[in-house]
Order: sequence, then structure tokens, then C-alpha cells
Amino acid sequence: MEDLAQKTIEHATGLGAQFADLRIEDSQGTNIVVMDGKTKTVTARLSKGCGVRAFVGGAWGFSVTNDLSLKSLRLAAESAVRMAKVAESRAKIKFEIECGKAEHATEVYRCDERPGEISVEEKVGFVMDLDKSMKSINPKITSTNARYDDFEGIRIVANSFGTLLRTEDTWTLGACSAWAKDGEVIQRGHHSVGSVGGYELMRQEDSIAIGRTAAEQALRLLDSKPAPAGKFTCILDNVMTGLLAHEAFGHACEADAILQGASVLEGRIGEKVASDEISLIDDPRVEGSFGYFSYDWEGVPSSKHVLIENGILKGFLHNLETSSRMGIPPNGSARSENYGSPPIIRMSNTYIAGGDWDREELIRDTPDGLLIKGAQYGYVEPSKGQFMFKCDEAYEIVKGELGQRYRDASLSGVILEVLGHVSGLANDFKMTDPGYCGKHGQSARTTDGGPHMRIDEVVVGGLT
Amino acid sequence: MTLAYLSEETVKAVMRLGADECDVIVAQTNSISVEIERGSVKQASSSIDPGVGIRAISGGSSGFAFCTDHEPASIKKTAELAVSLAKSGTADTDFRGLPHPSKPKTISGLFDPKVADMTPDAGVEMISRVADVTGDDKRITSVMAGLGMSVCRVSLANSHGLVAEQELSSFDVFAEAVAHSNSTMFSGFDGSSSRRLDLSQLDSAGLSAREHAINGLRQTKIETGDYAIVVDPLAAGMILADAIGGGTNAEAVQRKRSYLTGKMGQMIGSESITIVDDPLLQWAVGSTSFDGEGTAARPTTLVDSGRLSSYLYDSYTAGKDSVESTGNSSRGGAVWSYRHPPSISTSNLVVKNGSSSMDEMIKESDGGVYLRVTFDHPNLATGEFSGLMMESYVIEDGALGPSIRQSTVGIGLIELLSRIDMIGRESKDYFGVRTPAFRISNARVAGSA
Repeated sequence: MEDLAQKTIEHATGLGAQFADLRIEDSQGTNIVVMDGKTKTVTARLSKGCGVRAFVGGAWGFSVTNDLSLKSLRLAAESAVRMAKVAESRAKIKFEIECGKAEHATEVYRCDERPGEISVEEKVGFVMDLDKSMKSINPKITSTNARYDDFEGIRIVANSFGTLLRTEDTWTLGACSAWAKDGEVIQRGHHSVGSVGGYELMRQEDSIAIGRTAAEQALRLLDSKPAPAGKFTCILDNVMTGLLAHEAFGHACEADAILQGASVLEGRIGEKVASDEISLIDDPRVEGSFGYFSYDWEGVPSSKHVLIENGILKGFLHNLETSSRMGIPPNGSARSENYGSPPIIRMSNTYIAGGDWDREELIRDTPDGLLIKGAQYGYVEPSKGQFMFKCDEAYEIVKGELGQRYRDASLSGVILEVLGHVSGLANDFKMTDPGYCGKHGQSARTTDGGPHMRIDEVVVGGLT
Repeated sequence: MTLAYLSEETVKAVMRLGADECDVIVAQTNSISVEIERGSVKQASSSIDPGVGIRAISGGSSGFAFCTDHEPASIKKTAELAVSLAKSGTADTDFRGLPHPSKPKTISGLFDPKVADMTPDAGVEMISRVADVTGDDKRITSVMAGLGMSVCRVSLANSHGLVAEQELSSFDVFAEAVAHSNSTMFSGFDGSSSRRLDLSQLDSAGLSAREHAINGLRQTKIETGDYAIVVDPLAAGMILADAIGGGTNAEAVQRKRSYLTGKMGQMIGSESITIVDDPLLQWAVGSTSFDGEGTAARPTTLVDSGRLSSYLYDSYTAGKDSVESTGNSSRGGAVWSYRHPPSISTSNLVVKNGSSSMDEMIKESDGGVYLRVTFDHPNLATGEFSGLMMESYVIEDGALGPSIRQSTVGIGLIELLSRIDMIGRESKDYFGVRTPAFRISNARVAGSA
């Protein structure tokens, strides 16, 4: 594949591309879904193809083929160059891609047990056991979903700087959802584990326990009430702090949004954007995480990015284009969902660093408010400066004590205000559940994390 | 080799490998897209995506595998995998069989040859026009826009002798404008999806994005309280796609995961609300002549004058409830994918128009809120919705006032449907839902004032 990659890049530049790159992938994967004690579908994915990108003058052309013959790759290169020239003919903004360092490496992500070497029967057995572990907890668990996913792929990244990288990427993921019913009330709980790595992850105690965790959450929520609406002091747990780091600030730090004029953080490097104790980091190099990668999908070595340090905005996440246009070194934040999508700027493992408060002390120090736990999802519009995220459960805090349990609270905030309202960070930092981040129709595996964090004046959406 | 021949031959091969039943989708999708960033053409893309998806059934257990080409060696390996995976699953006596051949309706408006004939150059010209319209105001500081055109040929065959073919096209456009005034920033967006090349959508998407970006610059905060809410088709489409599309999914109902479980025949909304799943609409992006298992497509009334009247079924869930499939097994929306096993989904969800004009709804809602954009999903287990009002406006003096900063809305879905007391007379399509605006008499809003 490496030889094909180099010939294709040479063909693209020979046709007039000022810069060209490609991603060739050949991958396989498994997905097993068990519902209520029976397999719903056992799926195998066999996927291969190539996405070629060409740059001319200020515009990109991108072409995708599933056929990895040299003839087809040359045609894809021709199409990419033609697309770039068509786009460039009407491009009003002109720029160049700064010549970067040629990288040569073969990376094999750590994997003790290759998923492809584990029998499907064993994987099905694992998922069936997860499913059973939910049902067996309590008869009020009325429905269950257990899921297992794995991926093994070879990715070749090549570009006209001379970069040629081969990455052998493996990841596995397990997830459970449980529905509990009591009278007319139905509640759902969920939990997941996932990481770059092999099937060994599914043998760990944490993985075997995800069904129980999901079921216990669903049962807990049976006696919850709808969340109240209004402004509250909120203590976010590790999961929600991570989601806030990702949604409330991480996306606005993606330099493509800055160049699009679509981020409220444009022009604010060096400004105070958060309380003094806040440091926000995106780090693809966290070993054993779901968001791990060593080289990005443009062939740039990944690195730890400090986005906010002690409340001051320090930098953004970049790809080759944004770094060229903004005159700073690339920092390896370009990712593609697969060969069929062009690389765009993405987060990886995003977190807020821990503080000094003891978690219990932080709660005791809060006269009234809400403890917010677990994340369902979140989203942001950096151009409107607003974000929201939804929790699994919340607890009333009265005079420093936890009280009534609530469900489904949605928290909203303003990017430039929320981190200025932080009034306490606990010393219990941890990275949390694996997840997928969506952007421009592409999905990327990510992990978020942080400590318990107290924020004043959060708008909580509820039904009462 | 035609796609139909390939699908039929693959079915025979899968059955020879020992499957009890199977279906095979053979598809090829060709796409072109063009993007504008900060008013400048930024990227043009093309893709060719052929592939084969095979679902094999053994003892009621389903195995699915796909490959990303039409090569005999890949298909053979995929077929072997699908059969082997089916055999590794658990037996399922609820599976009553894949559909038998039926005659799909011949419907117009699935394929527009003009979409197939589009060139990247024409796409660049069109999206440049969208950008010009969107940015035509000095307060607009950035414009993003995109255009996507796809043509999908698909053949579906199964082991009962069913063979169905269709050609689908899709044309999508979106525009987003960012406006600045002093230190205030706001963005507006709009877009449309259709199976035909609808040039009128280019200007209307751009105009709407520009107007909303500018309208949002004037901002206010509101206090937490109960408000009448006029829901724009954009927000209505987002909420109803889940609330009705997800809530009536027979799989969720049978497994008691939906708030609509056990409510068949009961009133779940006001008498003015009728909602139909209609796959036969001309040029709508969810339209199809047969579903993802080959069942002939047909309209299904889900909510009839406020009463829950049907769930959405595929062959598996229909067999379990001993009813006919409603033809809602999906292989994707506008273009079909061979990469996923079929699953239950709406085609086009249609909310029946009412008689109110937008002016009337707004005038009747003085002191209330106009909700244009939310991207939140309801909790289908509890039947509760709580979400950010990403773009919303106060209603004052019979007109839309300033946009509301940082507020959320919360309401139970049955309360939401039951409190609809005015329905607009003009529909728009968003998120696969064709709906007019409607008014909810009362919902809880959390504000930041």
C-alpha cells in the first residue's frame, strides 16, 4: 500500500497540486448487539478505500474511491486535483500550505489480544453475560441492551512533504443500557468502557461491571423527579466536567472555527477567559484512552495542547491549513472518521486539570444547589457562544447535604462566561467514559475528564 | 453485470452456505459536494461508493456483513461471514420471516436526472450564489455554505424471490451567516433537502440564514417561568423526529422502552394533531417505493386527531405483534447505505396543516416565546423533553422581539402534544419531518435574567 500511496501523491503533484495527501485504509470490525437476552444482530465490517486530497491556491479537492488498484487511485488523484482547481477558480481567500517535515514511521497501537483472533462465539458470550448481568440485578429491569464493538485497521498516510506513515490501529468498546420500570415510570441507565487496545480490555473488571452500573443507575432513577428549572450553583461530577471542557470550550478552540469567523474566541489569545484555577488541556497522547493517537490523519505527530492555563487562553487546535494561515507550527489535531472523509480539526482527550478541594468539602461548602452526575450528550454553537449538555441524574444540595434525586437536567451556558463562574475544583481528577464526538458529519472517538467542579449561576432546564 | 443480477446471485450463494433466509443489498452511490468557508469556495469533493450488505438468518438469528466493492471474491468472503455470524448468534423464535415479494408502487419524484447530470463546476457556481446572497449585508462577517448532490442506485433481493430496484437522488443545501454588531455576535442558518434539483432553495436558504443572524443580534434575557411557545418548523422537526418517529418505533414499544408503550388508541395529543408517516411524497428525501426489506412503501397514520393509531413496524416487530409490516425498515434516508443492517425508521413524517397564519399565532402569544432552533433530543423512556433554546425570540406587541440569551425549555412530550392549540397552514421540511409551525399554550422555560 505504501508504494501505491507514493505513486498516487506523485501523480497528484504532477497534475498541479501544490500539496497533496491521502489516507488509505484497510480495516475490519465486529459489532454485536444483544437485546433482552438474544442477539439482535452480529455484524462484520470489511472496509477498504482511499481518500485523496489536493490543494491549489486556497482551495481543496477531495476524492474517494473504494478500489485500491493503482489505476483507480490515479483516477482519484486526477479527480481531487480537478476538484481543487474548480474550487480555486472561485476562491476569494488565497493562501499556501507551509512545507512541513516529512515523517516516516510505523506505529502499532498496543494490543495484547487482537480482536480478530478472538472467536465470534467468545465475543457473543461476553455480550450475553453483560446482558444477563443487568437483568439479574432486579426484576424491575424490564429491558436491556448490551453491545460490543471492535476495530482493527491499517492506515497509510502520505503527503507531498514526503511523509509516509503506517498505523495499525485497534480499539474495542463495550456498552450497556438498562431500562427499569415501576408502575408507569420507565427510566434508563447506561455505561460504557472503551479504549485503543485489544480484547484484553473486555476482560478487565471495569468492563465486566458495566451492565451492573447501567442497571443500578436505571433503578436509582425510578424514584427521581423531573429537574427544577432556573439558575443554580452546580457541582459537576468528573464526567460532566469533562463534557463541559469538551463542549463549552474545546470546540471553540478548534482553529478552523476561528478562521471561519465562527468562534467567540477569535482574537482572544492571551486574554483571561476563565477563573484563575482553570487549566484546560487536549492531549491525544494519554495512553490507554479512547481518544489516543500518535500521529494525526495529516501525518503530523500528536502532542499535548494546553488551551487554557490558569484562566488565560493560550492556544488553539490546528491542522496543516490553520497552522499555515495563522503562522504557527502544526500541532497534530486533524482527524478523519475514515478514508471517505477529509481530515478536520478534532479534539482527542479533553480535560480540566484538578484543584485542591476535597469533593465532600466542596459539597458541604455549598449552601444550596445541585450535584450533577453522568452525561447523556452535549452540543455547542461556537458562533452563538452557547452550549448545552444533559446529565443522567442530579441531586439537590441543601445546606451542604445531598437531598432529592432529579433526572434529565439540561445545563446551558455561555462560552465566555461559564468558566469565569467556577468557584471550586476538587482534587479527584479522572478521565471518564469513552465517547464519540460529532462534527461536520464525522464521528471521532474521544475521552473527556476532570475533577468535581463547582460553577455558580448555571441555567438548568427542567420541567418544574 | 447489473446490480439486480448481482443481488440475486448473492442471495443464491448465501443460501448455498446454509442460511435459512437472507437479504442482500447492492448499492452504488456517487456524490459531489462543495463548501464555502468565510465567503470563499474552500473545498470540492467527489466520491464513488459501491458496496454489498448481506443479512443472513439462521434459526431466527441475524448475521450481517458488508464489503466496500462489488468484486466476486469480496462478496464471497462477506457471504461466508454473514452466514457464520448468523450461526454464532442466539435462536430467536420471534423472527417470523423476511417479506415475500409484493408489488411496490411506482411513484414519481425519487430520482431527478438533473442531479445526476450536475458537475462540480455547476456546484461551485451555485454555492457561490448562495454565499453572495447570505453575505449581502455589512453586518454579516462570515458565511459558511454547502451543497451536496448524490445519486444512489440500489437493488435489494431476498431468499423469497423478492427483487426490487430503485434509483434515488438527493440535493442538499445549507447556509450559515455570522453577524457582528459592536461586541455582540450571532449566527443564523437554514437549509433544505430534496430529491430534486430545486434552485429556488438556494436563495431562500441564504436569505433566511442572513435574516436570522441579523435578527439575533438584538438580545435579551428572560426570567424563569411558564410561557406560551410558538414552535418554528425547524425546532418542531427536530423534536417530532424523535418524539413521534422514535416513540412509535415498534421495537422500543415492544421492549417497553418508549413512553408510548401501552398507549395505542389513547389520546396523546390535542384533537388538532394528525401525524402520518408518508414514504410516497414526491421529491421528499425520505420517499421510497419499497422499504429496506423490500416491503412496498405505504403511508401510515401514527396520530389521528390526537389519538395514537399505529406504531412503525419492520418484518421482525410486525411478526412479533402478528400485524403487517408498515414498511418502515430503513437502509438510510436520502441515499441508502449497504453498511448497516436495516432498522426501523420513519420515511417522511408529515404533520397535517392547521388553519392559523404565523401572524395569528404570534399575535395570540404576546409575552410568549418563539422557538426557532433546538438540537436536543427528548428522553423517550420518560417521555420528557428538556433542551436549550439555541435560537429563540420574545414575542412582544404582536411581533418577534429580541433573541433570548441562554434559556432552556422543559415539558413532557404528551403535554407538549396536548397543549398544541394553534397549527400553522404552511409546512416546511426539516430533519425528515414536514411540519407547519404550531403553538404550545404553556411550557416551563428556564431563563438567565
